[in-house]
Amino acid sequence: MSERKKLDRRDFMRTAAAFSFTGATWMAVGQKAEAKYWQLDPAKCTQCGRCTTHCVLNPSAVKCLNQFDICGYCDLCFGYLQPGSRDLDTGAENQLCPTAAIERKFIEAPYYEYKIHEDKCIGCAKCVKACLVFGNGSFYLQIRQDICINCNECSIAKSCPSDCFSEVPESDPYMYLTGDTYLAHPPA
Amino acid sequence: MKEPVRKTKHPYLVGVAIACVVGGYFHLVSKEKKFPEPGPNLEYDISELLEIDEVETAFEETGQIVPDFDEAKALETDADGNLYISGKNTIAVFDRAGKETSRIAVDGTPTCLELAPNGQLLVGMGDHVLVLAPDRSPLATWTDLSERTHISAIAADEENVYLADGGSRIVLRVDYDGTVLGSFGKADEARDIPGLEAPSAHFDVAFDNDGQLWVVNPGRLGLERYRDNGDIVTTWYRPDVTRLDSFSGCCNPMQIAFNSKGRLITGEKGPVRIKIFEVTSGSFEELVVGSSAFHVPQQIGDLVVDSSDRILVLDPRKKAVRIFEQTRTDLARKEAAE
Ligand code: SF4
Ligand code: SF4
Ligand code: SF4
Repeated sequence: MSERKKLDRRDFMRTAAAFSFTGATWMAVGQKAEAKYWQLDPAKCTQCGRCTTHCVLNPSAVKCLNQFDICGYCDLCFGYLQPGSRDLDTGAENQLCPTAAIERKFIEAPYYEYKIHEDKCIGCAKCVKACLVFGNGSFYLQIRQDICINCNECSIAKSCPSDCFSEVPESDPYMYLTGDTYLAHPPA
Repeated sequence: MKEPVRKTKHPYLVGVAIACVVGGYFHLVSKEKKFPEPGPNLEYDISELLEIDEVETAFEETGQIVPDFDEAKALETDADGNLYISGKNTIAVFDRAGKETSRIAVDGTPTCLELAPNGQLLVGMGDHVLVLAPDRSPLATWTDLSERTHISAIAADEENVYLADGGSRIVLRVDYDGTVLGSFGKADEARDIPGLEAPSAHFDVAFDNDGQLWVVNPGRLGLERYRDNGDIVTTWYRPDVTRLDSFSGCCNPMQIAFNSKGRLITGEKGPVRIKIFEVTSGSFEELVVGSSAFHVPQQIGDLVVDSSDRILVLDPRKKAVRIFEQTRTDLARKEAAE
């Protein structure tokens, strides 16, 4: 009997140790294995246009965003208007965006808000480049995680000339502009 | 009797078929999808807009001063040709040859500098102004200037100090005790004042050689001349991205200064261009330096003209003050402008 009791206690200790070890390992592995998603760094982007053409989805999972705390709410918005257009109106011939995805809305004289309709945006980056060259640089591209199918190898990442893409953790899946992004651009 | 064995007539066909299936599978699995390159409709081509400044100019870059501290942001010059450069926790003084002669410690990064006629150095610190005595010891701090103060430029005469407040988009007039005497720049239809538009919380102010105060209205791409009481005397705006005699972008010029002959020197961001104008009419005179000398796009930190009419431009990408001097007199100015 005593022999059997001894074995039981030892077995119990062994089982408990095995469970603790497995649990700790599972937790450690589980913590390390936080899901990763593809994202692009807007401070590195050189607006080459491949985010439109090289995504496996059509239209692309890459969309333009406007960071309103950098936006100047300019009347003369180069992200919205064709360069050289003299009429500051919403006529299609004046709009830079090939899909008319940007909405210009009067706020108060002389300021306008520019809202991107992401369902229409194809991620071409024309507005991003125009705003960067002639404005405050408040437009920027991001992979929309609710649209992206998180390909094993992002096909845009493979062809991006500016090495913008990396895998980011699920808990922090977007990269925002900062006030200094305009100046933080890498040298040509 | 032997069981008949069914033999295929063409065993090599089976081999070929298997090879096709296996090959096809790997072909399908491994083939990279070919994506089209973005066509011209998806390209934002600015080459034509940059070509407009490909003209010969009478100016050349003759030197650089590279400060050894971070966050160089503001410049000022004095009558002896000394250059003040502000940076993180410091203001360094350089002589005309570019040699550092002294340093003043400050708490933070100054956003602008102005040498007042009484010898004081007025230091814009974003939300307040630090006043340094002629011996550069701290004298006073001006705070509570407006609701959302961001001082981006200062111009001072004997009586008044004018602060360009990019945060509130107004010009504050203060006395030498730091008391706010008034402000102007808000839209006022009755007084024919269009209102200052400062999309990037930054605009410049400067006195011309006749003591008249000029204020940049960056969102309107031009200049406005004001009286003490905030009345507008004259304005001119030049918004046109396709012309060299105008300003490009949504908000320019970023910087202004006057040379000894009273000519207005302007500095633009985006495609960086330094130009000279006749200030009263706003007529373009000549290009000092065009966008090819800078990265496109980029900002300029500050721009000043020293006592020998050298144009000093703070280039944040190169982390250097770049010096431009007129080296040719044979170029007809109007010709260069065309
Ligand atoms: S492929 Fe890279 S450089 Fe080109 S638009 Fe996309 S993120 Fe920018
Ligand atoms: S210009 Fe291109 S990136 Fe910008 S909103 Fe339109 S489709 Fe999107
Ligand atoms: S991971 Fe796939 S779906 Fe997502 S942006 Fe890249 S190519 Fe498009």
